[in-house]
Amino acid sequence: MAEAFDSGRGSVAHARHRTGAMVAMLSLICMPFAAFAGEKIPRLPSGKPDFSGIWQTTSAADFDLEPHGPRKDAPPSPGVVEGGKIPYLPAALEKRKRNFERRFTDDPRLKCWTLGTPRGIYYPEPFQIFQRERDLTIVFQFGHSVRTIHTNGTLHPEEEHEFWLGDSRGHWEGDTLVVDVRDFTDETWLDRSGNFHSTALHVVERWRFLDANTIEYRATLEDPNVFSRPWTLAVHLHRHREPNFQLIENYCYTLDYEQYYPFPKGE
Amino acid sequence: MRRTSSTYLRALVLGCALAPLFAGAQETANRSSSSGIHRETTVPVIESGAWKGPRLSDGQPDVQGHWSNTIANHNNLTDPQGGVPGDPTGRVAKGPRESRAPSRVSDPPDGQVPFQPWARAKQQEFLEFFHNPIKPEYIEPLARCAPAGVPKSFTWHGFEIRQYPGYVLLLFNSGTRIVHLDGKPHLPEDIKLWNADSRGRWEGNTLIVDVRNNNAKARFARTGEFASENVHIVERYIFDNNGHRFNYVATITDPTVFTRPWTVTIPMRRYTEADEPDGWHFEVAFANHPKGERIIERYERICVENNGPFGQVAVQR
Repeated sequence: MAEAFDSGRGSVAHARHRTGAMVAMLSLICMPFAAFAGEKIPRLPSGKPDFSGIWQTTSAADFDLEPHGPRKDAPPSPGVVEGGKIPYLPAALEKRKRNFERRFTDDPRLKCWTLGTPRGIYYPEPFQIFQRERDLTIVFQFGHSVRTIHTNGTLHPEEEHEFWLGDSRGHWEGDTLVVDVRDFTDETWLDRSGNFHSTALHVVERWRFLDANTIEYRATLEDPNVFSRPWTLAVHLHRHREPNFQLIENYCYTLDYEQYYPFPKGE
Repeated sequence: MRRTSSTYLRALVLGCALAPLFAGAQETANRSSSSGIHRETTVPVIESGAWKGPRLSDGQPDVQGHWSNTIANHNNLTDPQGGVPGDPTGRVAKGPRESRAPSRVSDPPDGQVPFQPWARAKQQEFLEFFHNPIKPEYIEPLARCAPAGVPKSFTWHGFEIRQYPGYVLLLFNSGTRIVHLDGKPHLPEDIKLWNADSRGRWEGNTLIVDVRNNNAKARFARTGEFASENVHIVERYIFDNNGHRFNYVATITDPTVFTRPWTVTIPMRRYTEADEPDGWHFEVAFANHPKGERIIERYERICVENNGPFGQVAVQR
């Protein structure tokens, strides 16, 4: 029960939607099957799931979230969008088509810009989660950017921001980490095929263990300027277990000017 | 082009609130003569020894939180409060040398980097052209949003330490370091990185970090000191048991560039909920907490995408 009550406290960020007591009940009802089945997953001393580790998807999500056959720039994939297609508003669909045509020059990834949320999670480079009771810190190998998911009952800032990774406030529903992400810039893409969003993007992530080395990651995206309704994508994240595997910092935006900083050699 | 990223907003908000102290954003704060940067003139003595303070569940001394150096920014390695020599705006050292903080080079005793003659000449060249960068190599990489590197990151804004079983995470204004405590070997030597590759261990109150795989592109200060890709740095973070201070002591060995190993010492102090954010040492926000609890938060640091303020016009969109 203690864990259930903790879950209630962790959801203060969403107090306007529900009371702590209700969440406590839901937590018990919705507790992932794995927990009941006795599947051993890593946990913090508090009993919360411990997602610490180095993770990466094997999906083709970053190439194109939607279903697509073989292309020279993308391996084929059935897509990771529930229902298949992203529900664009008509004008936004036209923009998405233009983005696709210009994808070899306009994808912010090509400038090594911070990928955003959720793209950073399914980009094909590893990221590392460091976890404390109060927060999860995600360090992405690509760009070595840092995202903090707060799990200490704090709310989104009162003032508006345009963050590249959004402002992330998480709470626990049983063994599922639910993260509410707002305050986005509109300069990131959702994949390299030109799927996009506006500053009104609102993401709700759900992270849960399928087993000790696999996370199911789901993200529901809502953006009234771009999409006709909320939609959901899902990928699996696999733990890197190679001996001595580590992130290698990839400040790739420095590659264009590294040439100017050769080690100065003596005569 | 809209530029209302967090960095900008923070700079604006702070700039307005602290106008008398900081006439603007980072670059101005960086002009330390305006008192934005604390300017202590001495280095406290902190001995390596036992740790009597709080510990984390894995036994590490708990040194998490926000820290910054107490002397000056990265303008000058050997006369930290002396400004960058040749500054055309006149922000140069005033008064006798003894009135300012000592050289960050704590060994050799003369406070000078023991460069080989050719390397000294190169450093002087970098310094001469710092204010007149007629070639790209004279622009400091940090101005292009590159990580400030080891050890310069410790003199570029405040930083946060987060700790986890097996890791110490150093979050700087520009760049992040993951210090591995699990004894795994360094990366293959062909891999060279801005913030290098860090392997640490605790001895009492001291975190000892072995740093290799340095790409040697980030210089040590605006005065142009540098090392080669062969550099080997051993850092000692010596924490005072009262939790308020630590000294960063790094021994730098590189026979390619120097005549002998030498040591940099940078004193640090902690910043807490009792301090007010100042836009330089203590670049944080207070969380929106439903019960008004004062909780420090660090917003994302995104430099190159925002194309400023410090990296202004360094990267074309």
